[in-house]
Amino acid sequence: MRNLPLHGIRITDFGQMWAGPHLSQWLAVMGAEVIKVETHLRIDFMRMVGTPPGFERSDFNAGTAFASLNFGKKSVTLNMNAPRALELARDLIKISDIVTENFGGPILERWGLGYEDLKKIRPDLIMYAGSGYGRSGPHKARPAYAEIVEAYDGSTYLNGYPGGEPATVGVSPWTDATQAMHGAFAIMAALYHRNKTGEGQYIDAAMIEGSSNFLGEMVMGYTINGDLGERMGNRDKTMAPHGCYRCRGEDEWVAIAVSGQAEWKALVKAMGSPAWTKKEEFSDELSRWHHQDELDRLVEAWTRGYTQYEVMERLQKAGVAAGASLNVKDLVTDPQLKERRFFVEMDHPVIGKLTLAGLPWRPAGRKRAGYRYPPLLGEDNDYVFGKLLGIPAAEIARLKDDKVIY
Amino acid sequence: MGALNGLKVLEFGEFVSGPYCGKLLADLGAEVIKVEKPGLGDRGRSWGPFPGDIPHAEKSGLFLFLNTNKSGITLNLESALGLKIFHRLAAWADVLIEDRLPRESVRLGIDYRRLKKLNPALIVTSITPFGQTGPYKNYKGNDLVSSHTSSEAFGNPAEGVDDIERYSPLKGPMHAADFMTGLSAAVSTMSAVVSRGGNGSGRHIDISAQESLASVVRQELAFCLCEGLCPTRQKGRKRRGGILYPCRDGYVCIWAGPHWQKLVAMMGNPDWAKAEIFQNPATRAEHMDDFNMLVELWTREHTTAEIDRAGISFDVPLSPVRTVKELVADAQLEYRDFFVEIDHPVAGKLKYPGAPYKLSATPWEIQIPAPLLGEHNEKIYCGMLGYSRPDLVRMRQAGIV
Repeated sequence: MRNLPLHGIRITDFGQMWAGPHLSQWLAVMGAEVIKVETHLRIDFMRMVGTPPGFERSDFNAGTAFASLNFGKKSVTLNMNAPRALELARDLIKISDIVTENFGGPILERWGLGYEDLKKIRPDLIMYAGSGYGRSGPHKARPAYAEIVEAYDGSTYLNGYPGGEPATVGVSPWTDATQAMHGAFAIMAALYHRNKTGEGQYIDAAMIEGSSNFLGEMVMGYTINGDLGERMGNRDKTMAPHGCYRCRGEDEWVAIAVSGQAEWKALVKAMGSPAWTKKEEFSDELSRWHHQDELDRLVEAWTRGYTQYEVMERLQKAGVAAGASLNVKDLVTDPQLKERRFFVEMDHPVIGKLTLAGLPWRPAGRKRAGYRYPPLLGEDNDYVFGKLLGIPAAEIARLKDDKVIY
Repeated sequence: MGALNGLKVLEFGEFVSGPYCGKLLADLGAEVIKVEKPGLGDRGRSWGPFPGDIPHAEKSGLFLFLNTNKSGITLNLESALGLKIFHRLAAWADVLIEDRLPRESVRLGIDYRRLKKLNPALIVTSITPFGQTGPYKNYKGNDLVSSHTSSEAFGNPAEGVDDIERYSPLKGPMHAADFMTGLSAAVSTMSAVVSRGGNGSGRHIDISAQESLASVVRQELAFCLCEGLCPTRQKGRKRRGGILYPCRDGYVCIWAGPHWQKLVAMMGNPDWAKAEIFQNPATRAEHMDDFNMLVELWTREHTTAEIDRAGISFDVPLSPVRTVKELVADAQLEYRDFFVEIDHPVAGKLKYPGAPYKLSATPWEIQIPAPLLGEHNEKIYCGMLGYSRPDLVRMRQAGIV
């Protein structure tokens, strides 16, 4: 759409799995034309993750994880074992501003599509290579997934209940998201530079290096004091109460964070000023922190009488930070997300009506975003090879028969 | 020369998310002026970690890390002159990053509507717990609250727990949620920066921490919306990979999934791996608990170092659960010169995390350490805005700077 910020920017996208596709999803939603290069020979694993009712795992156009990461893009298929396919890829890159990839190694270089080759045909190209550990160094070829990098960077060690064992962070691949978004940021910075100077460049982004920035506080704690940190769960270094408390329903919880004496007094009042709040050990910030086991039990005895939203709204009205601890189903009906239209709807030719999480960013002044559904495998072959590259329809048909476009 | 050279940014945000957004811009060359309240300054200054656990406003590790490459001034926006000066800075800037609740921005006189009149081309990035609109727009939040309201905490820990009634949903380590919110803000800001040349009109970027985190859960949201799945912290629900296994001296995380055969070879081809149920991915997924138990029998016999080496030889994605000590001493990161030493006039020389990405033509670079509180008052107020030195003294005496 013409008034989107990245309108007119074309990306040839070799991204796969989670981090690569999520990166180009941000840029697609911002208006870039993202052309995802896929192949029937090695279908993006995410196309097989998540199967709607009535479909098989092998129905690669119906995969729901793929859908959540790839709406707003186009898809072409190329069998890169065929020399003609490499030529087509090169022709496509020639008319692209950006190339993105997150292969497990120097696959593009093997195809003769490394940055050194490509900048000869497109001098101002911005090329992004995402990997677990970076494209240089002893671990450059080591396979990585988000959970592996989280164990490697120290976040798994610090994730868990106080006094408990280390645990893998969340159920979603957290570090894939940090990688994707650091990448989208770096690419747009490079684009800003290119727009001003005409100069392109190569971006080598390691998951471990982005995720270690998220752990800056931990790194500084070590380099300053030799501190290894500890698992704190929902607790805070200074605030108490600061935790997640049981509410009335089954597996229903609310998070409460109380900062300073004024907020504590507001909490006490909101709870109806029960007698226990007047105890000496709860009379100041430090003493509350030292007695937080008992404090948490008493606060929870109160929250158990209400729903999570009742506690949240009552405390927020009193000026205390509180939030319902939502599961994914609750998110779908959360009044705040609903009012802000966080979820986006589209009609998918295979799945039918499709609702997915949007992005924290949305187009200015538009109530409904109108994104295109996640592409079917190779759906845009005719448009890209015919309209963009000007190959006659008969030749495209032949290339399909010869499994070049495949 | 940095990629964002020439971009002028005003940062009025504290603690983690606003400053991380500003740092990402500053470390690629943007000129960032950070506005702090006189007296204590940014809340991050009192957070630490501090050398020897002795609190000092210029020695907080969190603050030092998050505010590299920024100029720092102090300004009291509650005063008439303070607000006037803030408006002058907003007229100078291309981008303002701010993190006040909407009602607070209006009260202070720095809401987007007001600033737009002063500088129609200004990009204002507002970072709040729930966003600028909706019933919760003025609700308070922090890292804990956004981890929970986004469902990020509901799926943590990934391995699950024995008793979901006893073990609550869990927020992630450190201030991970705040960092993610700051990163969302930075990416979103860049969209407006890149397109700014085009139409010259500004934009209000409305960043909600809840949405920044909920966006990460997009895959599980798709499973819920399309298939009706709603996982909780039940043990054994993780099916694909990225599982923790106890070893002789710690834990190792292994991603079996499509690497199953390499993993079996790594374990010395045990007989159990030949069982019928483990021969195809579908039945393997059904018997994941058995599979994990059998892998654990092997991992328990080995040390993390042995398994780490075996993982490299057999090309199996795995990593021991490491501490920050091993991260800082890591050979791969050392090879890539990741950690950087920064000399700060008060805190001295310390090792910091470095570039999140390597840009070949416009490298990430530390030019100056985090500012001392009010370090650049004279430079900005006298040099840039033209106040005389005696006036600056008067402003100081009046508590404006």
